[in-house]
Amino acid sequence: MTRRAVRWLAGVAALAVLLAYPSLFGIYFTNSFVTFGIFALYAVSFNLLLGFTGLLSFGHAMFFGAGGYGTALALTHLKGLPLLPALALGVAAALALGVLLAPLMVRISGTAFAMLHLAFGQLMYVLALKLRTITGGEDGIGGFPIPPFSVPGVLSVDMKTPANFYYFAVAVLGFSVFALWFVTKTPFGCVMVGVRDNPNRVAYLGFRVPHTKAVVYLLAAGSAGVAGSVFAMFQNLVSADGALHVFVSFAPVQLTMIGGVGSFFGPILGSAIFGVISELTSRYTERVELVSGAILILVIMYAPLGVIGMWHAARARARARFAPRGAAEPAR
Amino acid sequence: MDPTTAMYVAQGLHGLAYGMLLFLVASGLTMVFGMMGILNIAHASFFMLAAYFSYQVLAFTGSFWLALLLAPVAAALVGVLCERFLLRRTHAFGHLGELILTVGISLVILEGVKVFWGTESLPIHVPPLLEGRLALGGLDYPIYRLFVIGLALVVLGVLAAVLYTTRLGMVVRAAVSDAGMVNALGINVPLLFMFVFGMGTWLAGVAGVAIAPILTVFPGLADQMGMDAFVVVVTGGLGSLWGAFLVSLILGELNSYGVQFVSQLAPVLMFLFMAIVLAIKPMGLFGERE
Repeated sequence: MTRRAVRWLAGVAALAVLLAYPSLFGIYFTNSFVTFGIFALYAVSFNLLLGFTGLLSFGHAMFFGAGGYGTALALTHLKGLPLLPALALGVAAALALGVLLAPLMVRISGTAFAMLHLAFGQLMYVLALKLRTITGGEDGIGGFPIPPFSVPGVLSVDMKTPANFYYFAVAVLGFSVFALWFVTKTPFGCVMVGVRDNPNRVAYLGFRVPHTKAVVYLLAAGSAGVAGSVFAMFQNLVSADGALHVFVSFAPVQLTMIGGVGSFFGPILGSAIFGVISELTSRYTERVELVSGAILILVIMYAPLGVIGMWHAARARARARFAPRGAAEPAR
Repeated sequence: MDPTTAMYVAQGLHGLAYGMLLFLVASGLTMVFGMMGILNIAHASFFMLAAYFSYQVLAFTGSFWLALLLAPVAAALVGVLCERFLLRRTHAFGHLGELILTVGISLVILEGVKVFWGTESLPIHVPPLLEGRLALGGLDYPIYRLFVIGLALVVLGVLAAVLYTTRLGMVVRAAVSDAGMVNALGINVPLLFMFVFGMGTWLAGVAGVAIAPILTVFPGLADQMGMDAFVVVVTGGLGSLWGAFLVSLILGELNSYGVQFVSQLAPVLMFLFMAIVLAIKPMGLFGERE
């Protein structure tokens, strides 16, 4: 079989597993998978900033939260709003926040970028707690109607069934991840990496660094908004602690570092590993964050490029060992 | 003094006490930034850790004074160990790695504290000498807060004396402004940095023990102080002690009077202040570099 055929087969097999997943594994693991997917997209959007453009954000939760609050508010106040427009309104809220912040944020980088995001993220958190009439304060917004996925006159799928919501979430999240992956493969994706590695040279080549950063920033904001919007509908609740807390901002940092910061699929792998770890540790202790914090420290200390980086290093060593004699061995 | 004036003075003193403690925390943060170029996310965690240590010392010995003496030293010891065995080894991976490492440290301290001491808030009782209130010309003010202001002044006096009159202080100030040059002059900068890091966590620890009897000890203790200290350091100018001092006092008063007049929006005032300063001076009040 050729490599191409193997890839096709693997793709078809993966799709089949995805389709059969709810009936194979039951409701509990179906919901676990939706959570994994939401955080995978959220972490990928974060990694678009850190891994591809070199911008570390400690306030990414504000876009996640904006998406969640946008959708929740829209569904609460607009009667009979269909599913996809509700999603779109959440994304629009995240994008609006991104547009507001971008002019300031594209001019800074490094520690200042990280700290200003921490500060603005905390500001959003405090605002969500204090503006009770709009956001519901500590209780958040919950119990809003989840509209069915409908094509007028053709079909209407109830979204309150976990399996149906699973298909909707996987489609939306999968498409978003694919779109972001596609962007990194375009010439624009190369400019992004150039901005990370040497912004002066990119500017010298005639690309506009602030404009590039602004586009990446909005892409990251919008896709985090998608994740937040799906999260709000999945939980049928959005709250300051659940969507805007500083831990929600630290989550993608952890997921990305565990998986591998330099790779597009690193954050997804990190989300999967983290999901398994927290599933296992939560059976023994309530302090899942203690374990994940310790893992974060270990990863930074011993494997700064994450699991994917470790795998690449192991492969390189294996190649060096099994290379033809004389080629790899140093002259004595 | 009529009651209204007395209330304003009392609020002002509250703000002064908080501002002083804030500066104790922020001074270590800004010096560490000056030497290493990163903001230590875990800095406020050491502040909280010292408060828990003081609770433990108090539980063992029953002496608040012993707690005030030992707990900050213990927190500083943990800080020095973190610097020596964790932070120093990740230096090679650049600032982002170090920043993320401090996030990991803060998570572990926060959750570790919950494992050892639980999540409920623990009261700290001050010795009888500091209990009660002082009546002074119509003003009725708790003695303990006056003690906090005095304590902070003494600690800051010692800090200023060390930094501005001794040879060690001169070297530290030089390293904060240009660590590479100081290293080239033959001074062991990593060792010096370990000392500064320890001193910074000790200062934060003193603040942590001092604030514990006022707020009680609980896992969220570090949240507001940590955020406020970041705002102080960024607004005052990264690496600038005077900027940090000035902004700490301003923020302390802003908090205190803000709570009185616009209680709901007091936290927003602080960010508003930061946004205005950064819009006019992007590097902060006394900052020279990013």
